Amino acid sequence: MLTNHLKLSLRNLWKNRMLSTLNLLGLSIGIGSVLTLIFSVYAYYTADSNLEGQEHIYYLKTTGTDGLSFVDNVFPLLDEIVKSSPDVIAGTHVHGWGNMWLKKGDLELQERTDYVDNDFFKVFTLPLKYGDPETALNKKYSIILTDRVSQKIFGTKNPVGETLIADDSLHVTVTGVFEPISPYSTFRLGVILPNELLRDNPTFMANSGWYNSFTPSYLRLRPNTDISQFNQLVYGLVQKNYPDPSTVASIKAMPHADMRMDAIPVVKTIIHGSIAVACFVLLIVLVNLLNLNTSTMFRRIKDIAVRKILGGSKKSVIFQFCLENGILVFLSILISGVLFLAFLLPGINEAYGADFGKISFNVTKDYPVVLYAFGLGILVTLVVGILPTLRFISVPVSTGIKGKIEAVKSNFLLKNSFIILQFSIAILFICVAIILNSQIDYMKEAPLGFEREHIVVGKIDLDYRDADAAVSNFEALLNRLQADPYVESISTSDVVPSDYPFRYSPFYDANTKRDVRMRRAFTDDGYLETLKIPIVTGRDFDETIDNAADNPVIINRTAMEALGWNTIEGKRLKYKDDPSSGFPVVGVMEDFHYQNMQYAVEPLVHFYQDKENLVAHRFLSVRIMPGHEKSVEELIASEFENMNSRRTYSQEVLTDMVGAQYRLIDGILKTVNIVALLTIFISCLGMFGLISFMAKRRVKEIGIRKVLGAGIFKIIVLLSKDYIVLVGIAALVAFPIAGYVMNTWLGSFAYSISIQWWMFALSGLIAFLITGFTLGLQAVKSALANPVKSLRTE
Amino acid sequence: MLLQLNNIFKWVQQGGQRVFLLKDINLQVEEGEFISVMGPSGSGKSTLLNVIGMLDDFDEGEYEFLDEPVHQLKEKHRANLYKQYIGFVFQAYHLIDELTVYENLEMPLLYKKHSGSERKAMVADMLDRFNIVGKKDLFPTQLSGGQQQLVGVARALISKPKLILADEPTGNLNSAQGEEIMTLFKALNDEGVTIIQVTHSEKNAEYGKRIVNLLDGRMV
Repeated sequence: MLTNHLKLSLRNLWKNRMLSTLNLLGLSIGIGSVLTLIFSVYAYYTADSNLEGQEHIYYLKTTGTDGLSFVDNVFPLLDEIVKSSPDVIAGTHVHGWGNMWLKKGDLELQERTDYVDNDFFKVFTLPLKYGDPETALNKKYSIILTDRVSQKIFGTKNPVGETLIADDSLHVTVTGVFEPISPYSTFRLGVILPNELLRDNPTFMANSGWYNSFTPSYLRLRPNTDISQFNQLVYGLVQKNYPDPSTVASIKAMPHADMRMDAIPVVKTIIHGSIAVACFVLLIVLVNLLNLNTSTMFRRIKDIAVRKILGGSKKSVIFQFCLENGILVFLSILISGVLFLAFLLPGINEAYGADFGKISFNVTKDYPVVLYAFGLGILVTLVVGILPTLRFISVPVSTGIKGKIEAVKSNFLLKNSFIILQFSIAILFICVAIILNSQIDYMKEAPLGFEREHIVVGKIDLDYRDADAAVSNFEALLNRLQADPYVESISTSDVVPSDYPFRYSPFYDANTKRDVRMRRAFTDDGYLETLKIPIVTGRDFDETIDNAADNPVIINRTAMEALGWNTIEGKRLKYKDDPSSGFPVVGVMEDFHYQNMQYAVEPLVHFYQDKENLVAHRFLSVRIMPGHEKSVEELIASEFENMNSRRTYSQEVLTDMVGAQYRLIDGILKTVNIVALLTIFISCLGMFGLISFMAKRRVKEIGIRKVLGAGIFKIIVLLSKDYIVLVGIAALVAFPIAGYVMNTWLGSFAYSISIQWWMFALSGLIAFLITGFTLGLQAVKSALANPVKSLRTE
Repeated sequence: MLLQLNNIFKWVQQGGQRVFLLKDINLQVEEGEFISVMGPSGSGKSTLLNVIGMLDDFDEGEYEFLDEPVHQLKEKHRANLYKQYIGFVFQAYHLIDELTVYENLEMPLLYKKHSGSERKAMVADMLDRFNIVGKKDLFPTQLSGGQQQLVGVARALISKPKLILADEPTGNLNSAQGEEIMTLFKALNDEGVTIIQVTHSEKNAEYGKRIVNLLDGRMV
């Protein structure tokens, strides 16, 4: 019986090769993308699964009175909380203080370095591959490596007990190696060291007081802790200890699980978007298969009747149909599996890689995904196998045997609602793609307040082994550059647009009584000139007048407005209750977009730093006359390559650096584009199947009309117009949803386009064109058919 | 007595009026009979055959098949009845295109829980009897119309029915092929199989032992 069914299924599929291929294609691509999306969501949600009791882990989130919120706290706060709250089981800082150079033999490398407290493992139960979490952080000179770093230094052997030389001075002993950490995990670690070590560091000790917020603080609380009460306690400590508690609007313990989404808001969009897209694509695939199956039912109706007469039950007919679809579905799951591993997974890794982390597939670990796929396959099979059959199976055999489809009560509403649903989703995605495209174009092309072209940026933070020699070489290079006729201007700075570190200082103006939190940066006197940022009032830095020791500053227009100043005459920038005279404000520069346009321009302050002060700067920016970039770039590069440094020199043009800020969002756009194409493609497959079904049903009508003199064009219109109307309805459904969704999303960008009517019109037009083409193929075929043949079938 | 129809009526509503497809049909069929149903197009021949074959309902009257009151039976029970006792032969053969001759013959047996070896023997027997052993691996579309109908008859016979219903079995065949089929029917009837056939052709009707004439749904 089963072999018979199987044979029949395979032959049926083969007989409708074209339809089967269409089906297989749509299914494979559809399921492949659903699989990819499910997998990345799965990887995301299981990334922190090795943390025991994650629901009891919290981090502190501060919201300032200016509305900004951040996870960095002052260092002593955590210890105060641990001391005063009975609810805390353990607490730990996890913060950086410069990344260390680690040396083993000839190998020297720098990895992300975090300092943690002794109770780290009591808060985070991260499993160790080697070493004992109980004791790993007990000794002052210990270091724990991530698996990745351990492999780089020691290969596959167990490095516990080995010694590394840190920053040429410290001998630290490896006391543990972490199990591999998922890239989706909240943790981005390289190596961790005990905070004890920093107590010897005078800069750290000087800067880890109650006024410098730099460390995230984590707490493991008792299960029954009253969080609001706990928050009150923390707030109380803030009020008691902060030099200026009025800047803090609230400080709250937030669940650790929320931290990832909090850290990169786009992640939230990506994950939620992935889930929605997966559901939509699955829905489209389902509907599509339903439509195609319905269309084949026309031919099947006779078969079903014959089988019933020969003794087959309804059950066996349904089984047959399910089997046939099952073969198709599981075949495409196989294909999509291959597709997933070969293209889609590397694809999303490439699209999101740097910001989102690469993910990999490991059968022993990720087998639940395989099970999901399997379950999904069964579900799809059952739905598409049973639903269309139900419609046809109750046709009385006496009519079925004549193959009279007219006798089937055709549920137009149901069928059409499917098409509308499908096309609504497809048009929705096209809309989203178009709007997102315009937004990204806008962000990339918008005037940034500085001129980004023709500037080459050298990364000069290279950790020179011989600092004095490096400085003299650097000065020589600067002289040569200044003499170069093709160099228009030169600047050294510790920032360039697209790379402004998150460093803030609270300033206060006693006269206007304004608190202003400003972003800090250091530049030389050539910075504004090189970037062509105009001065609003006052003057640019000038090396002949300014002295770095006096800390002259230039603020941006936003900062001036925030301080409530009309003029900078005699103004000085001061901290609150700062007994010193503050920093002289020499000028105000025009606002410019130093960070990507998802974020607003904040109050910004540039501190003066000498051009020659190599170690204080991270970038050497040179504006070069167009057409002469190559020689100048080579000159700079060769100079730096000759200096003895730990890092290798690299340079980039500023235009690329600015563009690279949109990598993640470009990745989203790429995905949306693909999904939009995919949905419209799959929808058209289904529509193609349906219209062939319609054409078959109306073959006699077409024949008669042709005999009576209808032209080919009229027939094409006759066959297509219903569907065109359906696509129109779908568009009407999709537009408001797309408008709403995109409006909400665009709201998260500081600078966004407004949605224009043509964006909707264009997406509608695209859908119409593609649909029209699909319909045309089949309609023309039917219209051209010889009426004599079709009329003879009666 | 194989079956008995008493005052069978069947109608459809059309434009608010009843149009009778069958009107007061009374028919008794004994085992071993060979009946030809004749009449012009639209006289209700096929409808009558469908009613006898239990593929179609009727609106009024009584139908007894092997002493079972068909008009009182549930759908499922009725299906069991025709599956067991009735074989169908169609004008358009209605073989399943995706199955070979062998598999087409085997299919009714699959629904009846015969063992594998039993099925093999029965199909082989039937292939032998109809001289189509050499064609057993061909698909219906590779056969001529006459050969297809031969397979159709063989398929109807394989589950050893008491009654064969044939709706214009020679309608799509040329005269030589038609004659072959009719000779076959005659031989089957001689072996004791009851046959009811619908036909247009006087000549084919002659093969039957009794002729039932229909006109506008009425027996005349």
